[in-house]
Amino acid sequence: MKPYYAVLYDSFQESVRSKVLWILLAAWTLILAALFPLSFSRGESYAFTFADIENPRLVLDNLANASAGKGTRAQRAVFAKLDEEFKSILVQRQANKRRIFTGLLTDSFNKLLTNKELYDKEAWPNADRRKDMKPLIENENRTAAELEQLNRGLINLAFPGSIRAATGQATWITYAGIKLGGAIPLSERLLKGVIESAFIPLVMRFGLGIGAMIVAIIITSSMIPDMFQTGSLHLLLSKPLSRNLLFLTKFLGGCIFVAVNIIYLLVGLYLYAGIRLDIWNTGILWCIPIFIFTFMIFYSVSALVGLIWKNPIICVVITAIFAGICVCVGLIHFYFDLFLHVVPQTQRIYAVNDTVLLTTQQGRVQIWDDQSKAWKSAYGDVDGQKVMGLVWLENEKAIYFARPRFNPFGMGGNQNAKLEFARTPELADPSDKTFSSKIWEDSRMDSGPELPSDPIQIFRWKDSLAILSESGVFRFNPAGAAQAEERKAALGGLSWLGNIGATSALPGEAFVQMTDKNWKLPKPLDVAASPSFQYLLTYSNGKVCRWKSDGDKLIQETEIELELPGETVASIGTSDKNCIVCPNGMKPILIDVETMQIRRKLDEMGELTVKQIVADSSGCLVLLSTDGTIWKYEPGTDKATQPSLVGQGNAHAVSFASDGQLWVAHSFKKADLWDLAANTSKRSLRPSSSIAELIFTYGISPFYEVNPKPAAVYDTISYVLENPKNKTLAVNRADLEAATIKTDPWKPIWTNSLFIAALLTLSCWYLSRQDL
Amino acid sequence: MQSSATAIDVTDLSKTYREGLVFRKVHNALSHVSLSVKRGEVFGLLGPNGAGKTTLIKVLLGILHPNQGSATVLDLPAGSKSARRKIGYLPENLVFPRHHTGRSALYFYGRLSEMTDSQIQARESELWKIVGLKGREQEPVRRYSKGMRQRLGLAQAMLHDPDLMVFDEPTDGLDPMGRQEIRNVLDQLKERGKTVFLNSHILQEVELVCDRVAIMATGKLRGIGTIDELIESHPHASKSTVTVEAIGTMAQLQEATRDCAVRDFSVVLDGVEDATSVQRFVVDATDQANVDKVIDRLRENSISIYRMQRYRASLEQVFMSIVGAANSTHSNTPNLFK
Repeated sequence: MKPYYAVLYDSFQESVRSKVLWILLAAWTLILAALFPLSFSRGESYAFTFADIENPRLVLDNLANASAGKGTRAQRAVFAKLDEEFKSILVQRQANKRRIFTGLLTDSFNKLLTNKELYDKEAWPNADRRKDMKPLIENENRTAAELEQLNRGLINLAFPGSIRAATGQATWITYAGIKLGGAIPLSERLLKGVIESAFIPLVMRFGLGIGAMIVAIIITSSMIPDMFQTGSLHLLLSKPLSRNLLFLTKFLGGCIFVAVNIIYLLVGLYLYAGIRLDIWNTGILWCIPIFIFTFMIFYSVSALVGLIWKNPIICVVITAIFAGICVCVGLIHFYFDLFLHVVPQTQRIYAVNDTVLLTTQQGRVQIWDDQSKAWKSAYGDVDGQKVMGLVWLENEKAIYFARPRFNPFGMGGNQNAKLEFARTPELADPSDKTFSSKIWEDSRMDSGPELPSDPIQIFRWKDSLAILSESGVFRFNPAGAAQAEERKAALGGLSWLGNIGATSALPGEAFVQMTDKNWKLPKPLDVAASPSFQYLLTYSNGKVCRWKSDGDKLIQETEIELELPGETVASIGTSDKNCIVCPNGMKPILIDVETMQIRRKLDEMGELTVKQIVADSSGCLVLLSTDGTIWKYEPGTDKATQPSLVGQGNAHAVSFASDGQLWVAHSFKKADLWDLAANTSKRSLRPSSSIAELIFTYGISPFYEVNPKPAAVYDTISYVLENPKNKTLAVNRADLEAATIKTDPWKPIWTNSLFIAALLTLSCWYLSRQDL
Repeated sequence: MQSSATAIDVTDLSKTYREGLVFRKVHNALSHVSLSVKRGEVFGLLGPNGAGKTTLIKVLLGILHPNQGSATVLDLPAGSKSARRKIGYLPENLVFPRHHTGRSALYFYGRLSEMTDSQIQARESELWKIVGLKGREQEPVRRYSKGMRQRLGLAQAMLHDPDLMVFDEPTDGLDPMGRQEIRNVLDQLKERGKTVFLNSHILQEVELVCDRVAIMATGKLRGIGTIDELIESHPHASKSTVTVEAIGTMAQLQEATRDCAVRDFSVVLDGVEDATSVQRFVVDATDQANVDKVIDRLRENSISIYRMQRYRASLEQVFMSIVGAANSTHSNTPNLFK
């Protein structure tokens, strides 16, 4: 092999002695040097960020109300201290319906933070009784930070439920120590998670994956054609070398050139992320061989073209055409996949007697039509929203749900959701219009009162339904809601609050707060009711609370701290005896509901992210992880196992039917009703394929599979960059239920390896037959 | 195994090039070529451009695959790795990668010839001296003149001390001194028993160094043998004439040889006096008595004979005659020297 090492060593020497290498290395150095001062800092701050205003419309309405001398005294006091410019914009909003962006509102509030005159005893009569605000009010010589803290607390009190409580800490992006823009509404841990899960893969994909790859292809395009210069090639071929091995060694030499660049840049990026951002992600280093591999895909094309035409320009052009074809095929596959498998993916499944309903990721409610063997959209083709519920109330013979706008990672919060109700097809009665605000096209649907601010979950509670929001748990009061509707009707459809009232509804009447008014359970939040409704368990930022029903009220009985990292999102599910809390990307924790003591961690399940937990009356708990795996925990065996059922590993949603059988929605649109005891499927729902699905399954997918997929390698890169702690990037509970497509991150490696091997074999065959 | 006395053995070798996808053109680069080169001899391959010389070398090196026939090199199949191990090759228009210095290039090609660095180190000093690049070996090859690159090419070809050297135009780009040095190198190689297969356009050079010569034209072998054999077998190799140059005036000479068979008088040197004039004329030597008679007549008239030379054809004349005949009749000309 000595001669081939010599060729390889020579290629390396050629790289070292070429100006191009040093120019590139200098360019990478400049990029890294420019990046190095970029960092983030954490410090004390009570400033508002756009994510802090959870219901900006309500806040603006309240301010508008205050401008007319209405509303609370605190709101009027805040309005009085606002700057004149914002006040005039607010007036314009009233008159012209001009839209005010949240950023403008936060800017205006932030100006108020430094106002020494904001506090007014009459406007905030109870503020000095609050433990957190009393010392600030009594202190005459407040520091700037203390003043900000006080004013932030006062503004929060003025708009209860609409503004998120301040943590007192904020994160800024800095460049050479200078803050760039305002505070970021993410904690340092979450910001690092975003950088690792989104920003670094983005840089990898577009910076290295496209930019650097184009540079690499252009620079190395001449290497193979240069080998075929008559004067040098014949001398090489006169030596005791194999033509094919000589070609492969030259190919490897080109890869070494690119490897030098990639190693330099990625080691630099790794050190930058570690030193400046405290993100020591070894995945960045693992990207080195993957990027070299990606380059090899393109270079194998360039090398074959170089053998045939011996012209670097043709090499670049044909490689670009190849990349273009791959991108087109990949995009067609991606969009078909998105619209066939991601958007309509089942989010939740429910069974109401014999009617099977599901909610999809795009926010639609669908009902199974046994005659046409298809899922039919019901209650409006509403897209881009998230379905909360469904809850079936036997007494009302109706299903209830809400469709708030879903904002990933808590950006903007959930806004202005109304409770909606519907009959199932067999119970539908077009004349039944309890709430008259809007009739849906299919005449089976109506919408009701607005939900309490920032709803998180709608769940069944005894004979009614309850809503979990950051303000507390609310019980639905149908009678009260009906009264409000009647009052609206009496006013001729016009609210007594005018424009404001139309959005604020009457939560006091339609929804009765079950928890204490001083409810303080910060996000991330989740709730689970035991099947017998004996207990309600909440998970809040690492703490599990047990609540007990006392008439219309919920009384907090006991709580347990789970010692999880701050802001850990978790799912919670409970039977009457056992509760399981599944922190995102960690081992599930089993808690005894009676004693509220941790019994053990479910080690047998490993570290995973669970998106749904359902319980039946027998005490069996079924957990569904984001990777589509179903786990069953039975108190008798005290062990979590993976039941063998159709759809295992590809499940999207689970729910218990009233008879204790388990509905499993799987493989995008299929569903099965499982008798877990007998381990048999009692009912299978298999929708017939649409034309688009047939085209995808039998046309696009097979072509995509045989087509080289350089872009798919970025899935592998994303996988290796993924920090196990950020398995599912989530800020809120709802983020865990985002659509997932199960992909094998290593599949692109072996499929593309086959492509490289095929092209190199073809090149060798061509070379061995060619007269040079 | 005992090695045979043949270094290169080519039997009925044919190579056809095909060009174009739709309208295919066929070009016979080699047509039934057979020849053999003995071990230890310097063998010259002559022919005009497009005669098939380089094609033949490429077949011997395995760069081209023949359509027909076979070839062995040092008793090994031509083109095989084991055969190439024993060959040192200097291609025409040699191009070295620009990033090399003379020394790094020598090491690179030495490593390709399966030599260790210590083996290369042991040989390099001598080679730099032989090819005349001593003191210039550290310079980048991109600054080398064509002659220097040719010398470097020669050094790399000799580096692994191969049994057979294949030189394609080795003196191309060299000045007269350089050519003389190359001839000296070839003599040294011959003394050391190496076989040299030389492809050159310079007939004088071939005539000076080659033991045997083959002439190719239009893909066919037109002649092979020693230079004397080639000349002797030429139809006009020896005309029966003797050219005489004598001192005197034209009138004196014509008078002296009046009754002899002579012709083509011409002035070589027109002097002011009779004693400084030189005339040339051709004597019919079909009958030796006529030559003797001319000499007797000249001496009787006290005319000094300045020079006498019997006619002999040159290699160039033989080459031109063969190539000209081959070109005029294309490939249908019978082999004159078989």
